[in-house]
Amino acid sequence: MKFTPKTIEENVNVSPTSPVKDFFELILKILGIFLALYILLGFAVDYIAPRISEKTEAQFGALFNSIYEEQKLPDSEKTVQSIVDKLLSHNPSLPRFTYQTHLIESKKINAQAFPGGHIIIYTGLLKEMRSENELAMVIAHELGHFAHRDHLRGLGRGLVFLVFSTFLSGADSSVSRFIANSMTNAEMRFSQTQESAADSFALELLNKTYSHAAGATDFFEKMSLKYPAPRFFYIFATHPYPQRRIEALKNTIKEKHYLIKEKIPLSLPHQDVH
Amino acid sequence: MFDLISFIILVGLGYFIGTQIEKKHYASLKRREALYLQLPAVTAKNMLEERPIEKASLISGSAAISTDYFKTLLSGLRNFLGGEISAHETILDRARREAIVRLKEKAADADIILNLRIETSTVSLMGGAEVLAYGTAIYYKK
Repeated sequence: MKFTPKTIEENVNVSPTSPVKDFFELILKILGIFLALYILLGFAVDYIAPRISEKTEAQFGALFNSIYEEQKLPDSEKTVQSIVDKLLSHNPSLPRFTYQTHLIESKKINAQAFPGGHIIIYTGLLKEMRSENELAMVIAHELGHFAHRDHLRGLGRGLVFLVFSTFLSGADSSVSRFIANSMTNAEMRFSQTQESAADSFALELLNKTYSHAAGATDFFEKMSLKYPAPRFFYIFATHPYPQRRIEALKNTIKEKHYLIKEKIPLSLPHQDVH
Repeated sequence: MFDLISFIILVGLGYFIGTQIEKKHYASLKRREALYLQLPAVTAKNMLEERPIEKASLISGSAAISTDYFKTLLSGLRNFLGGEISAHETILDRARREAIVRLKEKAADADIILNLRIETSTVSLMGGAEVLAYGTAIYYKK
C-alpha cells in the first residue's frame, strides 16, 4: 500500500461558532430564565400572601425578633401599647394576633408592621406626636396593613422562599432564619394603593374608637410642612403625596359626617421621647 | 463593585490574550504538522513492509493546555443549560494535535509510527486538558 501524505484543511473537531456570540447568547438565555422566575415569584407573592394562616404568620413574626427584642423604653412602650389595645377593642375583624408594640430608638419618623402583629414605632415618630389621637391614627394605619396583609406582601419575593422553607424545615430552622434576616435588609415597601387603603381603614377605626376623627390628618400635615416634597419623598418614597392623602382623609370625614372633637393630649413617661 | 470590575478585567484579559495565544498555537501546529507530514502515524498494529527492521521503540508525546478565564466562564454558563461546550473544543483539539506533533518530533527519523494511541485526562479542575499520545516508532535498515 502506498502512503500518500495529505493535509486536512477542515477541522471537524472544533465547532465553527464564535465564542463571543456564544457567550452573549448564553448570558441572555440565563438572564431570561431568571427574569421569568422573578416575575413568577411576584405573582406567587400576591397569591400566597392572603392564604398564609395566622398561625404561620405568627411563626414568621418570631423570625424577625432580632430587630425588636431589645426593650429599652418599657414605660413608653406600655403607654403606646394601651393605645393599641384601645384601638383593637374596637375592631374585632383584624387577624387574631397578640399585637405588640416595640419602640426603637431612632431618628426615623416612621412606623412599621411586621408579621405576627408586631408594630415597630421609631422614637423619631413619637417625638412628633402631640396628641393621643394623632398617634392612634398612625397606629391604626399600621393595623390597616395587618388587616390587608400588606406587610406579608411587603416582604417581597423572599416571602415565597420563607413559606417554602417553613413547610420543608419548620419556621424555627436556620434556613428560615437566614431568609428572614436577609429580607429585613430591604425596607418594606407598599404600593400607594395599599397606603391609601390603610389610610381609610385607619380613619374608620379612629372614628370608631374615639367617636370622632380629630387628629386624623395631623401627622401628614406636619410631615408636609417639615419636609417639603423632595426630602419628604426621600423618606416616604412609596407613600402617596401627603397633600393628596390629607385631602382624601378630609373628604371622607366630610362625606361620612365624622365629628371633630377635643384631642386627648399625649403624655409619654420617657423623657427621651419628648 | 470592585469585584465586578476585576471580574470584567479577568474575562476581557482571558478573551484577548487567550485568543492571541490560541491563534499563535494554531499557526505553529500547522507549520510543524506540515514539517512531519511525510512521517505516517497510524493506529494499525501491523503495517510493516517486508524489510529488515533496525530499531523499534516506544515513543510518547504529551501536552497540557490550560483554559483562560473567558473559556472557563463560558463553559460554566454552558453548564446551566446543557449542550456542546464549544469553547472547550479548541483546547482539546490543540492538546491532541500538539501531543502528536511532539511524538513525531521525538521520532523524526523513524519510517512509520505504528499503533498510535491517544489518551486524555483532566489536569486541573479549572478545565485544562492533558493529552498523551504514544505509539511504536519503526526504523528500517537503510
